[in-house]
Amino acid sequence: MTILSSFGGLLRRPEAGAFLGLSAVLIFFAIFGGVTFLKPSGIASWMNVAANLGVIAIPVGLLMIAGELDISVGAMVPFGAMTVAVISGHFGLSIWLGVAIALSFGVLVGLINGYMVIRTAVPSLIVTLGSLFAVQGIVLGLTVLITKSTSVALATEGPAKTIFGDFFFGGQVQVMVLWWLAITAAYVFFVHFSRFGNWIFAMGGDKVSARNAGIPTERMTILLFVLSSTSAAFVGMCQAILYNSAQVAGGQSFIFNAIISVVVGGVLLTGGFGSIIGIFFGTLTFAIVTQGIYYTDFDRNWSSLIIGVLLLLAVLMNNTFRKMALSYAPKKGVK
Amino acid sequence: MKPTLKMVLAGTAMLAMTATAPLAADIAVIGGSNDDAFWNIIKKGIDDATPGVVANGGTVNYLRLQNYDNFAPDVVQLIRTAISQDVDGLVIPNWVPEAEDPAIKDAIAAGITVILMNAGGADKARELGAINYVGSDEYVAGQAGGAYFAKAGKKHVICVNTLPGAANTEARCMGVADGMTAGGGAAQQLPLPTTSFGDPTAVAEAIKATLLKDSTIDGVITISAGDADSAATGIQQSGLATVSLGSFDMNGAGLDRIKGGTQAFAIDQQPYLQSFLAVSLLASAIDFGTSLPTYPVLTGPGIVDASNIDATLAGVTKGAR
Amino acid sequence: MLLSLKGINKSFGPIDVLHDITLDIRAGEVLCLLGDNGAGKSTVIRLLSGVHRPSSGTIEIDGTPVSFRNPRDAAEAGIATVHQFGGTFPLMSIGRSFFVGVEPTKGIGPFKVFDRKRANAIAVQAVQSFGITRITDGDRLVGGLSGGERQALAIARAVHFGARVLILDEPTAALGVKQAAHVLRIVNEAKRRGLAVIFITHQVMHAMAVGDHFAVLIRGGIAADFKKGERTREEITDLMAGGETMADLEAQIEAENA
Repeated sequence: MTILSSFGGLLRRPEAGAFLGLSAVLIFFAIFGGVTFLKPSGIASWMNVAANLGVIAIPVGLLMIAGELDISVGAMVPFGAMTVAVISGHFGLSIWLGVAIALSFGVLVGLINGYMVIRTAVPSLIVTLGSLFAVQGIVLGLTVLITKSTSVALATEGPAKTIFGDFFFGGQVQVMVLWWLAITAAYVFFVHFSRFGNWIFAMGGDKVSARNAGIPTERMTILLFVLSSTSAAFVGMCQAILYNSAQVAGGQSFIFNAIISVVVGGVLLTGGFGSIIGIFFGTLTFAIVTQGIYYTDFDRNWSSLIIGVLLLLAVLMNNTFRKMALSYAPKKGVK
Repeated sequence: MKPTLKMVLAGTAMLAMTATAPLAADIAVIGGSNDDAFWNIIKKGIDDATPGVVANGGTVNYLRLQNYDNFAPDVVQLIRTAISQDVDGLVIPNWVPEAEDPAIKDAIAAGITVILMNAGGADKARELGAINYVGSDEYVAGQAGGAYFAKAGKKHVICVNTLPGAANTEARCMGVADGMTAGGGAAQQLPLPTTSFGDPTAVAEAIKATLLKDSTIDGVITISAGDADSAATGIQQSGLATVSLGSFDMNGAGLDRIKGGTQAFAIDQQPYLQSFLAVSLLASAIDFGTSLPTYPVLTGPGIVDASNIDATLAGVTKGAR
Repeated sequence: MLLSLKGINKSFGPIDVLHDITLDIRAGEVLCLLGDNGAGKSTVIRLLSGVHRPSSGTIEIDGTPVSFRNPRDAAEAGIATVHQFGGTFPLMSIGRSFFVGVEPTKGIGPFKVFDRKRANAIAVQAVQSFGITRITDGDRLVGGLSGGERQALAIARAVHFGARVLILDEPTAALGVKQAAHVLRIVNEAKRRGLAVIFITHQVMHAMAVGDHFAVLIRGGIAADFKKGERTREEITDLMAGGETMADLEAQIEAENA
């Protein structure tokens, strides 16, 4: 008897609320958004938004499961974008060099974040708030110093454009969607089927006990920070290649959008509970809610209100399902 | 332009001004945050005007906001700083009249000659007792954009506003609407929620969705140059080749599009001229008692399109456009 | 002698927390460590579980001096500590939390997969062997278990992974009467399996129910060390209260109330 075989078991999984929330917003916008919303171009529209957010949301969610937070992703997006634009656009060097350096910066900032979190007693929110500002400062200072501008153009052609920043399926779907699906599959395997996933959940449950149980909590923490900042740099880099341009500012909306997606996806803010598929559904829900508005006849001035209410409902649904999972006992074993 | 509302904390520490030579214009210029492309062009204008001031024994000090998080109090603080430094002249954008006006009046009362730049307008300059206003008018700029679309035969334009509610972006979009109406077309605003600010994909997809939803739209204008990058992709994604694109302000990628033909035009308020003229006018007024009959001095709207793109590109490489 | 403390002193800076602690613990025996709050019980646990090192004195296992640099050293030497609330990962499943850090896997190379079925089966079987037959589904979350069940899970886990010395830190403090009785039965079961149990409590009744050997800590020193049956409940309570008799205290309170 596996948990998947029973309906009750399904309801107790962390992604149950996220899945119902996703279904609810899909139905909502199918009714109010009409045919265009569900046409391939409409689907591509929210898939594209979800993909860019999702690649960042999953590692951010993993950090939250492990009891940490990384808000420096908001600066890593423009950092990744600007790095590739300056190296391959402004200096005209090979795009592959730009890609490699953009990603290395992601790894570097992740190492610094992770190291500072494990070496100091400062909460990761504060550490990454510091690196958020520091990285923004570096991006701005270096970009203006090097290019005398805060917006750098980048023209890419050939395989790099195809791999990182192009459209396919009739020029509608960003290649980022493929990255997102592949990366999600890889995360599902490592988090839910390999032993590393167990370590992350244990760290979020109780870091001291996890360490005493022999889990290399410090190395795992650093690894997770590296994943999140590198993923953010990756998304920024791909956006610069796709939009042929990078700006110094921007990307901050990814901080809250990622956290919202993760929480809608059923991850507990305090750590220890959640799932990759849940985050996947949460990101999709968020993208559908924010993009679906444009297919409806609602006055655009109300869009923030509708987004807020729908997301709040999704989160409330999650809490209900988590309580069900906790209070569940088989047979009549009620306390 | 306005300060974009970003949670950006960055930049350099403000340098204290020390030298005050008698009988020569010591000028303070207050400006926006470092990471705002616009204010770096302003800086170029200041830098180019400075040698003239220095040659007559004066100084120019550029006081910049670190960020826009605590906007009104910070601006007022910079004005007070300038007053305490005993400057002779002050160039100041009148972003937040309610907060700034008392401080500006104090500056004038302290014998400082003031020019409003970039934000405020002629009426405000007269009211406060500033000697002139150098800048553009958002509404007039919007009208110019609307008129450009109408002249190109466009009937239905959307003005994409990623910062809905801000006075200047609303004025821009209102100008576009009136310019279109005057030319026989129509325009409306597309306000985007804050969740899409700074995410080009979200902006692009919102524009694509709007175009797909309403096939009568044949023109898109964005309130910033960065948003135009997203809009270009959104239009291309919609597959609607007849939709043309315009933007307020401009950046490298936008100029490339104008050159390549995928963007019709950009409305430029020519910030270089704002600071260059404001500093020069102020210094010569203080040093030599000149006064300019042109009032206000409008530096925009300048339209950049296929006809003048090459000269504009030359200015960009020098950091002045 | 399985575990011995010999002349242990511990001070944090100028503050002496423990002085001259000497204790012996045999396999298959329950040592009850009694004492009021602040008497030094927690410090003894931390020394034994490798969190702190003694300032002087030695810890011996099977007669050989050992030195724990960290909690892992202590765990590898067979000393397992179970805290008040038992399982510490409330939002993990029974099977997963049982095997934290030592997950069973199947498959090869980089695609080794956590063997959930096996983990669940072993965990459920281990807990049931301690008499908790109500736990049948290894996918249940630990946080959904009762306090006693959680203690049982934590103790079963320690035993499964080869613990020889079990330190139970106030396992009954937060429990009701029935749940506490449950835990005491589990302690007896652990003893029956030949483990040495160090049972920390300030509830004399619970201690007398399972203890073979008692030590009372007062202000960082051992005030009394005796075998089962050598003292009455009242005497032990008085000892814990720091020498003052409980009767005296009661008289004082009554006088104040009068």
